[in-house]
Amino acid sequence: MSVLQCNSLSKRYGKIPALEQVSFTIEPGRIVGLLGPNGSGKTTLIKLANGLLTPSEGEILICGAAPGRATHGLVSYLPERTCIPTWMSARQLMDFYGDFYPDFRRDAAQEMLQHLDIRPDQRVKQMSKGTREKVQLIMVMSRQAKLYLLDEPIGGVDPATRDYILSTIISNYNPEAAVIISTHLISDVEKVLDEVIFINRGQVMLQSSVDEIREEKGMSVDALFREVFKC
Amino acid sequence: MLRKLLKHEFRATGRIMLPVIGILLATSVAANLSMRYLLDNDAWFLSMLGILLLTAFGFAIGGVFIVSFILMIQRFYKNLLQDEGYVMLTLPVSIHQHIWSKLIVSSVWFIVTALAVILACCITAFDITIIKEILQGLGELFQELRKLQAYYAINGTAITIEMVVLVFLGLVAMCLQFYSALAAGHSLPTHKMAWSVAWYFGLQFAFQIIAFSLIQILDQINFFNWGIFHPEIHLDAMAGIHIGMAMMIFLTVVHGAIFYCITTFFMKKRLNLE
Amino acid sequence: MLWQFSGDAPIYSQLIEQIKVGIVSGVFPPGERLPSVRDLATEAGVNPNTMQRALTELERDGLVYSQRTAGRFVTEDKAMIETAKRALAERHITAFLDAMTRLGYRREGGIKMLRQEITEGGNGDVSLAV
Repeated sequence: MSVLQCNSLSKRYGKIPALEQVSFTIEPGRIVGLLGPNGSGKTTLIKLANGLLTPSEGEILICGAAPGRATHGLVSYLPERTCIPTWMSARQLMDFYGDFYPDFRRDAAQEMLQHLDIRPDQRVKQMSKGTREKVQLIMVMSRQAKLYLLDEPIGGVDPATRDYILSTIISNYNPEAAVIISTHLISDVEKVLDEVIFINRGQVMLQSSVDEIREEKGMSVDALFREVFKC
Repeated sequence: MLRKLLKHEFRATGRIMLPVIGILLATSVAANLSMRYLLDNDAWFLSMLGILLLTAFGFAIGGVFIVSFILMIQRFYKNLLQDEGYVMLTLPVSIHQHIWSKLIVSSVWFIVTALAVILACCITAFDITIIKEILQGLGELFQELRKLQAYYAINGTAITIEMVVLVFLGLVAMCLQFYSALAAGHSLPTHKMAWSVAWYFGLQFAFQIIAFSLIQILDQINFFNWGIFHPEIHLDAMAGIHIGMAMMIFLTVVHGAIFYCITTFFMKKRLNLE
Repeated sequence: MLWQFSGDAPIYSQLIEQIKVGIVSGVFPPGERLPSVRDLATEAGVNPNTMQRALTELERDGLVYSQRTAGRFVTEDKAMIETAKRALAERHITAFLDAMTRLGYRREGGIKMLRQEITEGGNGDVSLAV
């Protein structure tokens, strides 16, 4: 069964269309890039997959089910901003994730935190911005979910952190799960992706594997993106 | 799941409420000591200190209630309608569980606050001559009261319990009124807080009009004087009061339920985080 | 092991090339057990499926073989490794000669410069076993 399926999915905010007749399928074991300029509808799509928004038309299905309480347990979501409660300590944060998500692997999280020299009693508000983002990523990737939704995971972080984030994504790869990375920084992420979906003004322009683009068009996805989205 | 929500909600709120209550109890001890040793002191600065401590105690009582109230409102919008909402509302938990967890925790803190204030007053009053005399007087009064019939004692207790329940449910309905205003106001893209305030007063106004109209309608059909038209039913004053209380409690529950539905509607169908 | 990728060729074919370099240069010695697909992918910073595809191709070529439970191993066939090494070296040589020709040097001129570079400057301890 596909992990994520959109069928003629549309979302309008009042009269303003954010997504228009979006249809695509994502199979397990794929790392997919959701690529488009700012305001193209990437975040709207992710919020719809999370059940934080309801569709205006069409449907979106996670492992065959509409977004709701059950699918929340299957989806691991990394928001664009750091949204973890700042008063918590690293240990309390792990308690939190462990309590609500049976698929949370506490030992994996602990190992990754130790690797970054983060003490269990350190409070989130005492951490630097970069560390907070890494901690949020660690919590998200420590879950054994079916669908990982990463909204702009590498925007606004230094190159070393970027490498760390991408490396964490690769090393947590699970052939039964799918990862969707929404970003506009393609060259950094291209090597990690199986497939890309180009989205612009709420519509899907292209869905293809990275290899196909390089073989058939003889250029990198980054180069193709620049061409397709030329201003 | 609800239990886990409660656990984390208590953790989040306890770290503020417990120190505040601690301060309250500390100032009550200070107030007690100052009343006993500092107030009638020859050294003017010690007297001044005593008065300051008593004032601090007064402020602490007010402070505890204010903190409890603000915390109730702030927890709801900060945890569910701002950035933390991205984490909370993607948990495998229903909206109902979220709302109930906030309600239960707020209610618990209201009760704890009330009890803490009572305790603080007891501490302050401990071993103070004036208070002792008052309590002695009250004790004699109770002796006299006990000579009254059991009828009044039982009914008196029942009415007191009904009053406490009514106040408590009123507080819960008040929380829900704030929650629905926040949920509705935050469904808009900009000026969320301003809209929430507008919604609060709007709801308040709407309910006052409904209540007023309801009273007018009931008055027209002689609802309040039905006892006169049915003299065959013998009800004494006490039963009347109990019925009145039951109706008030019922109305408060309905009041709360309406706000609960409004809150759920906006959180489920009109959520607009960011 | 330094992994470098360019933008034009598919990543899996670049991976095949770079793993071959690793094998012929001794980074992955003959008979050595290779790290798991996931570990290799993490090290190279690439998608595990892409790494898997590259390794499958190398298996088909015979430079690498897999034992069901034990994992993937570099071949012990030294002759095959030598052939692969030669093929890679020949490509570099052809590229060098082409580049020199494009600069305007004729073949002998290019080879003379190469000999000079080796004897005078550069790495004095480079020995070219021809």
